[in-house]
Amino acid sequence: MDDDKILVISCSGVGKAFGMASREAMYAVIEELRPEATDTLCLALLTMGDEEAKARVRSRPTITIDGCPKMCARANVEASGGNLAAGFRVVDTYRRVRELKPQSVAMPDEAGRQLARVLAEEVAAEVDRLHATGEDES
Amino acid sequence: MPSLPKKRVGLIACGGEELVEGTLSRVAIRLVLEKYRPEDTVTLCLPLFLAGEKGERAFARFYPTIAVDGCRKECARRATETFSAPVAGVVRVDTLLAEMGIALRPAWRRALDEDGWAVAERLAEAIAAQVDGIVGSRRGTQPVVMSAGPGEVMAVDAPCACATQVPVSRIDIAGQEMELIALMAIFDEFYRAGKRPGDGLGQALLEAVRIYNTIPDELLPATRAALEREYAEFCAGRSQA
Repeated sequence: MDDDKILVISCSGVGKAFGMASREAMYAVIEELRPEATDTLCLALLTMGDEEAKARVRSRPTITIDGCPKMCARANVEASGGNLAAGFRVVDTYRRVRELKPQSVAMPDEAGRQLARVLAEEVAAEVDRLHATGEDES
Repeated sequence: MPSLPKKRVGLIACGGEELVEGTLSRVAIRLVLEKYRPEDTVTLCLPLFLAGEKGERAFARFYPTIAVDGCRKECARRATETFSAPVAGVVRVDTLLAEMGIALRPAWRRALDEDGWAVAERLAEAIAAQVDGIVGSRRGTQPVVMSAGPGEVMAVDAPCACATQVPVSRIDIAGQEMELIALMAIFDEFYRAGKRPGDGLGQALLEAVRIYNTIPDELLPATRAALEREYAEFCAGRSQA
């Protein structure tokens, strides 16, 4: 865990394909696209009010990625008093690339991977913007 | 009987995005939902307990629930018990895999390879065994739906409880606001059967409500009276509509 990184938190997406895509996008950002600048934490920890998790989302800019209209990631970050820098929704990206319709839920299929990649690029651009404007400074 | 979501075992995964065990918890319950016990299980995203509404928070009061946790923090169990009701069972992924002598691979956090899927299957079998213990299944742990192969088993229509919310109403009973599951469905059932206030329906309403709710003995008379009152209002609203 690095405490100078931007946090990218996805929904836990256990029931829907867009949830899976949200998580795949998050992993693409933190493991491939911007590993030096980003990290994640368990959304369930925020739900439970874990003090360490709350301190992290309050001290670091946090980007949420949500897979369904319930917006669990954003709602839990906001309920924790987090420093919400940006909130993404899979459906907004999907509307721009409707040919990429994910079907699988537990692990991404090819369409899910591609949709997540498009979304991950958008999140990475937001990470770059936060760096460029200095908004990622504690 | 009222039209309600089918009574199944609820599965809540911690889903921990930081941990390999979190990914395995999520995949394992999907396997149970879609492959091992599709007729007996339903799920709900854990963060919905906070982000959702009263229907989500009634989840564990309606479904006997198994928490599948990835680490010692046991977020799934604690969230369920904090926001809903005590769980019927717990599966700890980290301790179970340690007992099996299985070493985790960091890459499994994002994607499972063939070995990772095999681990998820073993976890799913353990969860299915707990499901059977709760529902008294006559089946073994063999899957009831065959998969196409690792990573290709996931259908999209396995039951997710956020789309079939447990219906909850709040009514005043002896000066206390109490949540009752399925109340409107029961009222609707009675209304469509032609039963109207004044027919001495209090006891029948109470018996129907007690199928889905635990009512303390000392509150039974007050609950019966509250149900008669609420049902009269329900019928008045229907007749005006």
